[in-house]
Amino acid sequence: MRLALPVALVLLVALPWLTASTYIMGIAVSGVLMTVAAAALNLVYGFAGLLSFAAIGFWGVGAYCAAITVMDWGGSFWSGVALAGLVNGVLALAIGVPMLRTRRHAFVVVSITFALLCALVSRDWTAVTRGPMGIPGLPAPSAFGYVFAGSARFWFVALGFSVLALALLHALGTSRIGLVLKAIKQNEPLAQSQGISPLPYKLLAFVVGAVVTGMAGGVMAFHLGVVDPLIFDFYYMQTFLIIVIIGGAGSFWGVLAAGLAMVVLPEALRASNDLRMVIYGGVLVVAMLAMPRGVAGWLEDRRVAVLRAKLR
Amino acid sequence: MNLDTTYLTELLLNGLMVGLLYALVAAGLALVFGVLHIINFAHGELMMIGGFVMALVLPALGLSYWPSLAVAALATALAGVVLYELFLSRLGPREFERSILVTLGISMVLLYGAQYWFSATPRIVDTQYGFEGLEIGDIRMTWTRVIGGGVAVLAFGGLYATLRWTQFGRAMRAIAQNREAAAMVGIPQHRVARHAVALAAGLCGLAGGALAPIQLVQPAMGQAVIFKAFALVVIGGLGNIPGAVFAAIALGMIESWVGGFFDIVWQETSVFLIMIVAVILRPDGLFQRGGLRVG
Repeated sequence: MRLALPVALVLLVALPWLTASTYIMGIAVSGVLMTVAAAALNLVYGFAGLLSFAAIGFWGVGAYCAAITVMDWGGSFWSGVALAGLVNGVLALAIGVPMLRTRRHAFVVVSITFALLCALVSRDWTAVTRGPMGIPGLPAPSAFGYVFAGSARFWFVALGFSVLALALLHALGTSRIGLVLKAIKQNEPLAQSQGISPLPYKLLAFVVGAVVTGMAGGVMAFHLGVVDPLIFDFYYMQTFLIIVIIGGAGSFWGVLAAGLAMVVLPEALRASNDLRMVIYGGVLVVAMLAMPRGVAGWLEDRRVAVLRAKLR
Repeated sequence: MNLDTTYLTELLLNGLMVGLLYALVAAGLALVFGVLHIINFAHGELMMIGGFVMALVLPALGLSYWPSLAVAALATALAGVVLYELFLSRLGPREFERSILVTLGISMVLLYGAQYWFSATPRIVDTQYGFEGLEIGDIRMTWTRVIGGGVAVLAFGGLYATLRWTQFGRAMRAIAQNREAAAMVGIPQHRVARHAVALAAGLCGLAGGALAPIQLVQPAMGQAVIFKAFALVVIGGLGNIPGAVFAAIALGMIESWVGGFFDIVWQETSVFLIMIVAVILRPDGLFQRGGLRVG
């Protein structure tokens, strides 16, 4: 098991040499970026217990921020992605404070409304976003004179970003803060009785989730080469959610494995996009009815059952 | 700005129409929440089913409006029963996130399944009334709109009467107000819940069927309404049907007035802004009194 992580990492870095297909590299790039967004959602939903549909809003806002920085303000790709993180952090702080005061039903609805509002603004605020036409022709990022053009080269940007973002999320999840978040999710009154104030912790998870999701969206924009209101398509949100649910909310490695599996599987089946979403929906229903805690939760239950049997 | 009375009245009537149809969907959503404590993400797709049944049945019945509408409402109510028996009956009242994710999955299967099967191309639905309309003075409305509004009003009358005066309605209110006490006096929870979902789905099918000749029928038609309906139900106070209906009608009017007087950009944006502010200021809704109450 100790070797699994380095081996996987080496294989991922070597991916462009293992395949010559730009199609596969394109899928791999969007796959890792969506997995990062799903891992960020896992922090917000799996750890903090906030079922937030605002993630798709942050994803799109990040994409627009990065694109506008490069196309209108003459910044570089790197500053664009950094700005995407900053803007999303401020935005999440601003809407997070009032949102977290609401009860959970209202929280879900407000988060959906926020996501829809972002999509509407991107479509209608034509002066900045260019409306439904979007911002086409985003240039490939470059560093020290090397241009990351094409999916095979862009892969290193996406992979580098993903590894950093996932490392941050993992560190946060295993830290004391992660433990406190889990405690709050499991039993909020009990956590409060131990002198923990839930609000700052939830807000931190919400803001960190927004920053990571937004930066992933910013990188995604340059992978697609164009940003238009379709970046707010609910399809992305559904994919993030499926990855979190199948992997098991609250399980970092489970979500990571599910992210890779959910991107690779439908492509292997060569399903059309609509059919893929039908499959995702069916998987979501079955998983929620049969394994409410995801594959990771199911494995955990089996492990506990085996331990109990041994003790008997 | 010159205030033209004809223009104002047309805006008012259009707003009322849209509001009434939102309200049908929102009332069903509030009903399901009140009795089952489930926020039904598949509710918009039930409306889409109603629209598609209308679009498919109308040509078969020689474009006659009323039988097709009845078929649409009944078929959707049946779909509601299937939805309840297969999925919703397995969810407990305290499993809030789980119920959202299950119904979201169902909504995905129905929406993308419809896109896969029928393609995403919008369909134009023709009825016996065509584009003929009612004219009072300078004000003109197509018959399909007038009838759509009328059907919605009738449906609300029926819903109110059902909830207030029938045994089934009292049972639904009892469960919504106090689940344990209702179980203690022997109210059959599952049967009442199934009927409530069927009723809510029927209302949705009615809205979808009535909307079909007014707008275009397409797989995504439910999605456009459902997110607004969520917010309406929360603004109205969860499970509070009159509150949701009032919020829906008010919102439909605000939407068409803003669209009529300001830049079109503000139309939908303003609605969502109002929703966010309302929900944040009053998280429990503007009219929260607890439980499913009428009158």
